[in-house]
Amino acid sequence: MAQKYRLTYFNLRARAEPTRLVFAAAGVEYEDVRIQRDKWPDLKPNTPMGQLPVLEVGGVTLCQSMAIARYVAKETGLAGKTKLEEAQADMLVDGIDDLRGRQAVIRKASEDRKEECKKELADFAPDFLSKYENLCGPHGHLVGDSLTWADLVFYDVMSKVLVVLPGALDGFPKLAKVMDTVTANEGVATWLAKRPDTPH
Amino acid sequence: MPAYKLTYFNARGRAEPIRLLFAAAGIKYEDVRIEGADWPALKPKTPMGHLPILEVDGATLCESTAIARFVAKRAGMVGKDDLEEAKADMIVDGVKEVFRKLLTMFFEKDESKKEELKKDVFEKTLPECLRSFGKLANPSGYFVGDSLSWADVEFYNLMEMVRPSFPGDLLKDNANLAKVIANVGGNPAIAKWIKERPESAF
Repeated sequence: MAQKYRLTYFNLRARAEPTRLVFAAAGVEYEDVRIQRDKWPDLKPNTPMGQLPVLEVGGVTLCQSMAIARYVAKETGLAGKTKLEEAQADMLVDGIDDLRGRQAVIRKASEDRKEECKKELADFAPDFLSKYENLCGPHGHLVGDSLTWADLVFYDVMSKVLVVLPGALDGFPKLAKVMDTVTANEGVATWLAKRPDTPH
Repeated sequence: MPAYKLTYFNARGRAEPIRLLFAAAGIKYEDVRIEGADWPALKPKTPMGHLPILEVDGATLCESTAIARFVAKRAGMVGKDDLEEAKADMIVDGVKEVFRKLLTMFFEKDESKKEELKKDVFEKTLPECLRSFGKLANPSGYFVGDSLSWADVEFYNLMEMVRPSFPGDLLKDNANLAKVIANVGGNPAIAKWIKERPESAF
């Protein structure tokens, strides 16, 4: 039986992982298609904007990783309980991209630039995270009092930042609590244990 | 007193799609424009240290796209179900990708690098984007369903930003997108706002 949702990406976490985490947290099944790089040139013209990931659902193909993640979050009840909560989740997801970018650039940097990039992340993170600590709710969730995709996106980015800066959440107890809440989620924990091991 | 207070600089910039949406929906709001000199004092009071912000229902939102989506929801301009909303979201995300490339080009100080970026936008980014978007808009000139949505408004705003650097009819072979522009620009409330809005450099 064909799955209702078909997610296509490369065999990486990267831009598809937020959506995979939402499916996992919600316990919703989907087809997790991972293509080899050499298959991409043939597939590319058949995608809406020449990029991956794409999500096929109801005869429609969606692109743009955050549009997809938000859609799956809405479908699974993880987008926020009111329009205002949805907006607060949206703004926190958009804002985290500044942190994500500074972490991602380390991997792509030439060897002689890597230390500089790590230092830039180390200089940027404290002020950035203090703003998020202020905005974070006290319940172990960024928004409201139950899991939203904002928690999952934050976890995805922060877990990579913590590899470079292990102490980054010291002094930010509400954010640390969000990380614990996410990893304690049964669906997420199962996924983290079984997901394919990929370079990034 | 309006229930919405939008704060930004005296510019179209990242706030204009929000203002266009308020206009299209006929929703009253306070359109606060601050002087550059007043920004340092305000900055630490904002959620993430940047503008625009929207104060509504006792909360303060930031991130222009998140704000625009919220206003579009209140205005009934997001699409009629989750799937249509996702289509609108993906269009807007695509628009923002081009927007960011434009900003990188605008702010490049090295003249020869700036020319290189401009060439890349004109020869690669814009044609590819317009080709994809042309297939995603319908022949009636809407990205989602058969009425004006925030995706149409964001695309219109992008083309307004593009035009000064890339004059000429970029949509001459793109009937669907030309219709999107006509639908947005021809909306009486939007046309009125464009005529009456404060002048600003960008």
